Amino acid sequence: MLKFDVVVVGAGGAGMMAALSASEKNNLKVAVLSKIFPTRSHTGAAQGGINAAMGYRDSTDSPEKHFRDTVKGSDFLADQDAVEFFTSGMPDMISELDYYGVPFSRDEKGQVAQRPFGGASSPRTCYSADKTGHVILHALYEQCLKNHVQFLNEWFLLSLVVEDGKFEGLVAMDIRDGKIHPIQAKSVVIASGGFGRIYWSRTTNAINMTGDGTAACFEAGIPLKDPEFIQFHPTGLAQTGVLLSEACRGEGGYLINKDGERFMARYAPEKMELGPRDLVSRSIETEIKEGRGFGEGMTSYVLMDLRHLGEKKIMERLPQVRELALEFEGVDLIKEPVPIRPSCHYTMGGIHVSDYKTCSTPIEGIHAAGECCSVSIHGANRLGGNSVADVVFFGKYAGLGAKESAMRRSFGRTEKLEQEANAWKTKFKTIREKTTGVSMFSIRNRLAETMWNYVGIFRTESEMAQALATVDELIEEYKDAYAGDASVKYNMAFINYVEIGNILKLARAVAMGALNRRESRGSHSRGDYPTRNDEQFLKHTLIYKDGENYRLEYAPVTITNYQPEERKY
Amino acid sequence: MEMMTVKIKRFDGRNSYYQKYEVPYEKGKTILWLLTTIREEQDPTLNFTSACRHAICGSCAVQINGNAFLACNTPLDDVLDTYKTMNLTFEPLKNFEVIKDLVIVWEPKMEKMTKVKPWIIPGEEGSKEIGFLQSEEDFQQIAAPTDCILCGVCASECNQLAVNQDGYLEPFILNKAYRYIVDTRDGAPEQHLKPVLENDLWKCLHCMQCVSQCPKTIPLTDQIAFLRSATMAMGELDNQGAKHAYAFHDDVKNKGRLNETMLPIKTDGLVQTALTKIPFALRMVKKGKINPLHMPKQISGIQEVRKLYEYAEEVKS
Amino acid sequence: MTLTYAFFPGCTLESAAEELMISTKKVAEALGIELIELNGWTCCGASHIQDIDNFLSTSINARNIALAESLGVSKLLTVCNTCTLMLRTAKLKMDKNERLKEQVNVGLDRAGLQYKGTVEVTHLLWALLEDYGLENLKKKVTVPLKGLKVANFYGCHIVMPPDVMGFENHRNPQSMEMVAEALGAECVEFDQRLACCGFHAVFPAQKEVMTMTGINCLSPKEAGADCIVTPCPLCQMQLDAYQPDAQKRFDQDITMPIIHLPQLIGLALGISPEELAINRHVVDAIPALQRKLQLA
Repeated sequence: MLKFDVVVVGAGGAGMMAALSASEKNNLKVAVLSKIFPTRSHTGAAQGGINAAMGYRDSTDSPEKHFRDTVKGSDFLADQDAVEFFTSGMPDMISELDYYGVPFSRDEKGQVAQRPFGGASSPRTCYSADKTGHVILHALYEQCLKNHVQFLNEWFLLSLVVEDGKFEGLVAMDIRDGKIHPIQAKSVVIASGGFGRIYWSRTTNAINMTGDGTAACFEAGIPLKDPEFIQFHPTGLAQTGVLLSEACRGEGGYLINKDGERFMARYAPEKMELGPRDLVSRSIETEIKEGRGFGEGMTSYVLMDLRHLGEKKIMERLPQVRELALEFEGVDLIKEPVPIRPSCHYTMGGIHVSDYKTCSTPIEGIHAAGECCSVSIHGANRLGGNSVADVVFFGKYAGLGAKESAMRRSFGRTEKLEQEANAWKTKFKTIREKTTGVSMFSIRNRLAETMWNYVGIFRTESEMAQALATVDELIEEYKDAYAGDASVKYNMAFINYVEIGNILKLARAVAMGALNRRESRGSHSRGDYPTRNDEQFLKHTLIYKDGENYRLEYAPVTITNYQPEERKY
Repeated sequence: MEMMTVKIKRFDGRNSYYQKYEVPYEKGKTILWLLTTIREEQDPTLNFTSACRHAICGSCAVQINGNAFLACNTPLDDVLDTYKTMNLTFEPLKNFEVIKDLVIVWEPKMEKMTKVKPWIIPGEEGSKEIGFLQSEEDFQQIAAPTDCILCGVCASECNQLAVNQDGYLEPFILNKAYRYIVDTRDGAPEQHLKPVLENDLWKCLHCMQCVSQCPKTIPLTDQIAFLRSATMAMGELDNQGAKHAYAFHDDVKNKGRLNETMLPIKTDGLVQTALTKIPFALRMVKKGKINPLHMPKQISGIQEVRKLYEYAEEVKS
Repeated sequence: MTLTYAFFPGCTLESAAEELMISTKKVAEALGIELIELNGWTCCGASHIQDIDNFLSTSINARNIALAESLGVSKLLTVCNTCTLMLRTAKLKMDKNERLKEQVNVGLDRAGLQYKGTVEVTHLLWALLEDYGLENLKKKVTVPLKGLKVANFYGCHIVMPPDVMGFENHRNPQSMEMVAEALGAECVEFDQRLACCGFHAVFPAQKEVMTMTGINCLSPKEAGADCIVTPCPLCQMQLDAYQPDAQKRFDQDITMPIIHLPQLIGLALGISPEELAINRHVVDAIPALQRKLQLA
């Protein structure tokens, strides 16, 4: 049986950072397991930057201000001790990344450059042009190569094995040869990314962001914290959900409905298209809901019109935006408007991390970092530039935490691991041999449509109740899902099948958390409860999965320095 | 409805064959859309890799009608227009090991990449605690090379690699070496450069395939020229490549034009030329293609050309 | 109609590919194209000098272009892919970068010249399509090349990199086919149509390049071609003069005659193979041509 001291699941920024810190200066056997080749990870898609109060650009900036901004941005749902730990450690983190060779853009003094970002009271976002996540991901991969970190690439996590509330190991498939392995380990770091793909085509997320690690933890008995908080971006491309930069609105682009109206006049008569993200997102969806959009169903859209800016300005100011529209929608912005619609961008909630310093979860030996989990530093809404920061910072501490766990713990028994692996082998065989049933892609698409329409940008009691019922039906249908590939080696259809099972599980928790949170806070916006209700809901949602049943609990928010106040910008 | 005929090279680990799919044409779609549509609507057993679908993760490069493309950001209409056809043939990237259908393996390439120490060897000025200082201008040096997404398009198109897998380094590996050689934070650029020279640097054919197809428009061939310059600056002049380049450089300075007769001797030395190039030389002489007695005259204006050489030296220093 | 170009022959036309000089001049004369050879042109650097000194490489080609500018013509014409690429690269760099242009001009000034950017660099193949016109070319054809199966071997540097060359789509160029068909020849489809000849690394990568040469000859041979036609004297030299060396690496007979584009055109204009110096090739092309054509 494969045996490691520490297994890291996921090879994005958090996973590789965890692997580096877990394996530093010791003899622990560490492996990183990833369903894709490491540099394909979604950390690479982060463009804008990474927040750290270096104070280079603005000497009055401080970790304290970063702390306050993050808490305010979270609509006071973040745990303040965790946020303070995070913001005070970030400046050192930047220096460490610099030392790892991350090519940061520089200021005139040669220091790491910083720029202003939404929700930040000082310009503190460090960056590398528009590819910050990409260069961090690659630099971390290089460090892993240098340090001989062992990778199990194209290995897929199937489940975590827990006995008596303690982690014993995991079961994973080597996709390339189709073999299912029980893996014994003393500790694990789950760093498998978010689950924006519950909305399938309406997300900026990579197609594999299906929350596999989150679902495995959920299944293993760890609750999901605040799953209902999902960040949306107003301007995704209509066909693919690919993000179209905010700069389009910034430069004066018009949002146009089917009747040719600049409909923002109805919602934000003064600011028009320059209104805040959530308002613009809601306005677009309202237009579509009320029949003033183009197209139908999930492919509905409104138009972003930039033609009045003229060719010169478009080419000068928005060359990349034009390129994106040309490549992904086949539209030349100089000549035609581009179809857009909001797109799910980030999942604030996830695996319940119960100790922010070690990123451990309630189950001994299981740690988590990055978008798959909720520490929580983002609370109800994440600030731009805080995601890559979260990933590298808590990736490091999760790695250290897992190292401590591994040094403290010994290998356990293997019976349950073997049993679990055998159960998956049987399942794999069954699915491979199944020749009829419900199309898994159809289940996935209907899930996305339900979630988008009823647990999307704005939410009401009756719609969410309906959504929950539909998700339950889909979970039922999934039992008869058909994947369509009989092969053993590289059976991506089977992987997709498991992934779809995962997003079904997670979507149900999102709907349940959202339905029960009878207030509007951060990204969670309810038509029937339009205001924040601190008295009843200044608390974390925790959803447990006991077999088929989901159980909802709440846990207090840690408040240290900042008492809730109205969030105004 | 207009149909496209899409032929895809399948491989199940043992056998490979081409499979045909008929797909209704739609305007304004991408190549990745086409592959995804086939997979989800016709054949879930078809395998290819993709993730971010906006040209940052580097997963989805494939060959279409013999050329490598990143599937996600390549408009289908452009490809149909390029080849003036409704018939497309998909194959996995060339110069990679194939695992299944269009899926290739990257680990051997990464193993090979470690030859050039593809990580920073931090200079003494920096530390983990305070990082480094680096000027904006110096950052610009590493801006383009760090655009690389390791998609493999350059390697698939590389003509030297096609005939020399073991010896030659993939253009993306050369890019990685270049990236640290020019990074002012790196304390040991020669440790990245030496292996580049030792791994057939001078065998680049100047065919321009890599630079012409890189989806990130990284100036790969300029980088190769830089790497060669850098090895020569390090004193590595006693090799065919450097000597060949200097033959041109010196001939232009002396006469203005190339002395083709002397080129082999300048490149390979008299002995080697006598050993290997005699049959070639004789057949050239026979056809009047080389006249051993013909020495190019100095061109008119050679003094002015030499002034350009002098000036280029001034610019360098 | 008389088209006038400044003419940049390139080094090979003075020695190894003198037949290209001869045939280019013959064809130009027959078509009524006036070529004014630059006085005092230098080697373009042949894609090597930039390895030693990038700025120098730009400077010597700026000088070549400046020589053309002083002739008061609008285009500088070449018949070599690599010369075209080197000249166009220098031009593009300077036209895009004012600072570089100024710096290069400081050096040129000492040589009594000035690069302005008024002259375009073209290749005979492009000039025929863009300036002369296929219809006019067809009118000049006296011996249609009917039945001759040609394999058009473009060579890399006439299409790549596209941001420098840009005449046509580098993934599927058609200019050679258009010209060959205008002359009445039949174009064969073959895998190596857009392959690299390997010439620029024939010294350091001798073994690999000889393998490539063999493949490049075999591919059109298997497709039934009578000869390869190329717009580049370097490709021609690689495929022709080194063919006997490449043959040693192959069991099959790779014999394939290789002719220059102007030679193909010349044949269709009724010029004899000898006048076009087709007899200068290492692999004798005349028998293959004679089999299919009523040669002058």
